[in-house]
Amino acid sequence: MIGVARFLQQRQDYENATARSYQREIEARTRLSQGEHPAAARAAVISQQQKRQVLRDEISSETRDTALLVGAGLIAGLTGAALLFTGLISSMRRPLEDLVEASGRLAGGDLDARVQIGGLSETATLGGAFNEMAEELQRRAGERDQLDRMKDEFVLTASHELRSPLTSVQGFAELLLLEREKLSPRQAETVEVILDNTRHLVRLLNDLLDLARSDAGRLTIKPEPTDATGLIEDAVRTMRAQFDARAQRLRQEIESGLPQLEADRDRIRQVLVNLLTNANEYCPEGAGIEVKAHFTGADVEIDVIDDGPGIPGQQLEHIFERFSRGDAGETQRVGGTGLGLAISKSLVELHGGTLGAESVVGQGATFRVRLPAIVHDRAKVT
Amino acid sequence: MARILLADDSETILLLLRTRLEMEGHEVETAVDGQEVVDKVSAAAPPDVLLLDAMMPRKSGIDALRELRATGIDTPALIVSAHTEGDNGADHAGLAIDAYITKPIDFDQLFAKIAELTEN
Repeated sequence: MIGVARFLQQRQDYENATARSYQREIEARTRLSQGEHPAAARAAVISQQQKRQVLRDEISSETRDTALLVGAGLIAGLTGAALLFTGLISSMRRPLEDLVEASGRLAGGDLDARVQIGGLSETATLGGAFNEMAEELQRRAGERDQLDRMKDEFVLTASHELRSPLTSVQGFAELLLLEREKLSPRQAETVEVILDNTRHLVRLLNDLLDLARSDAGRLTIKPEPTDATGLIEDAVRTMRAQFDARAQRLRQEIESGLPQLEADRDRIRQVLVNLLTNANEYCPEGAGIEVKAHFTGADVEIDVIDDGPGIPGQQLEHIFERFSRGDAGETQRVGGTGLGLAISKSLVELHGGTLGAESVVGQGATFRVRLPAIVHDRAKVT
Repeated sequence: MARILLADDSETILLLLRTRLEMEGHEVETAVDGQEVVDKVSAAAPPDVLLLDAMMPRKSGIDALRELRATGIDTPALIVSAHTEGDNGADHAGLAIDAYITKPIDFDQLFAKIAELTEN
């Protein structure tokens, strides 16, 4: 920098000297034009021109030197900065890489993810903040898990404790109905209402229990080779009376020679009965319901198709969520719990299958169960 | 018809079960816990069927059955449980439990089971 200042001073001196030289030359030329000592005046003009040439040579050499100096200074500065930065970057890089890696693990659900605090004070602060955040996340997750466990335990215990009184209510109501001939029609009807509501409570209780088990990872199935045709026919037979009661046509079309399923018979029956119950309750009287089953080559596909009112897109999106039910107007009439489809989906998925729904408003709805079949690959044997 | 020893710690349930079983023509004796079951069952004249609540104070139906089996009594046993199928443990192996009856009780199913166990 001192070099540059000196250069600027020299430049100033050069300008002043050059200006003085021009002044002298002009004075000499004036004298020449006036004819005063022409030889001396001419010599003075030439002398000033030569002097300026010397000054010019001097200053251009100074300029070159200074440019070199400044250039060298710049290069040295840049190199220094680069070296400094490399040092900075390398001391920040490791901690930052650690942070990125730990954030990835944390986001992936590994709440044990922590970073080693070190390096520059900035990265150390960042690392400390990350660790505090991870700590807090872990603490909250722990609390939430504990709450979840308490909730599951509560539901399991409650549904267990409620079963005994419900057994009495349902049992004695049934007992009364066994002596129907001794009851007035109104009394008999009253007992029917008690029974209907008790059954609804039992259903709700069973559904809640299944959901609590599902949440606790305790919803289990006992799969064994099961005849698909018999299973479907059994579910249809169970529901036949309810369809007749609402003058609905229930047809079944089961492809012959369906393969066996690796399935928990009771649970898949529960799923099919749930789908049929929904069709029965949500479709108007006189509606048509069809159960179709065929083998796709890998799965057995069971469709429950109705020609009822259909399900609007927005409801269809959430139909497998808990407590998702049809329109309020519908649900007044329909006795479901809003849990059946959520449980059915869990059960089918436990079997490695899928449960889906399609519907066009005004054109009915189709619920499709796909369950992996037991395929005996003859080609492999031979 | 069958001679049935019925055990439950709830008087209401005892009354219900007893009434329904007697209406079906069965002869019913009752107990309020597992200890009473063990006391009432003698090897000389065992009942035809044991119908025991799984959970009772003092001694559960399961524990009573375990004691009876240990003394060589092989009377058919039905266990009434508030648990549904999935919760009935596999640790009851060796107790020769013929069926679990889930609350609320499906009486048609219960009567069919008793008939099946006492056919011979």
